[in-house]
Amino acid sequence: MSVDKDETHQRLKAAVHYTVGRICQTVGEDHRREFSRQVIAAIAETAVRQSDIFAKDLEAFARHAKRSTVTPEDVKLVARRSTALSIYIQNKSEELNHEQRDLKKKNTGKRKSRDTDEESRE
Amino acid sequence: MAESDAEIGFRKDTVSKLLSSFFKEDKTRLSGDAALLMAEMLRVFAREAAVRAQKQAESEDCDRVDIEHFEKILPQLLLDF
Repeated sequence: MSVDKDETHQRLKAAVHYTVGRICQTVGEDHRREFSRQVIAAIAETAVRQSDIFAKDLEAFARHAKRSTVTPEDVKLVARRSTALSIYIQNKSEELNHEQRDLKKKNTGKRKSRDTDEESRE
Repeated sequence: MAESDAEIGFRKDTVSKLLSSFFKEDKTRLSGDAALLMAEMLRVFAREAAVRAQKQAESEDCDRVDIEHFEKILPQLLLDF
């Protein structure tokens, strides 16, 4: 059981590492500088550990609101430390709400299951 | 932020599974929209780390972004998130 959990964790870390690598590549291309593999690994590791902190905060915020599901409201609280980031996340959240309203308008008549909606958005 | 790399980001299920694995209680769930927003948060975090490390390398006139550049920007990065 725990071996299984460990393997999933390793796979998730690998996924984060891959995306961080691609982000570093685009940043590097823009400035004609390459990132060493060590830096990419370090950023990926930092991102995973930061996720741990985010997750614990989100859970605490949801519990404080007497919920067991983490909602976008909790995410907005997690982003409160930096004003620019907080505004950015709030705008993103509104964008998502609008998108969903549009989707609902389109889907009146033929109702898709929620899962297929989410897949098509990715 | 540049338009061209807007699509490079974390996948929703990756973020969802990663965060869920860190929850202390099993019954805590993550809503779909919250997962999408957190994917965006992590993308900003990773990009910010990369851009700041790159700037540090630039200020030291280095062609390669190395671990010492990232080490220098890490404390402030963590304070900002």
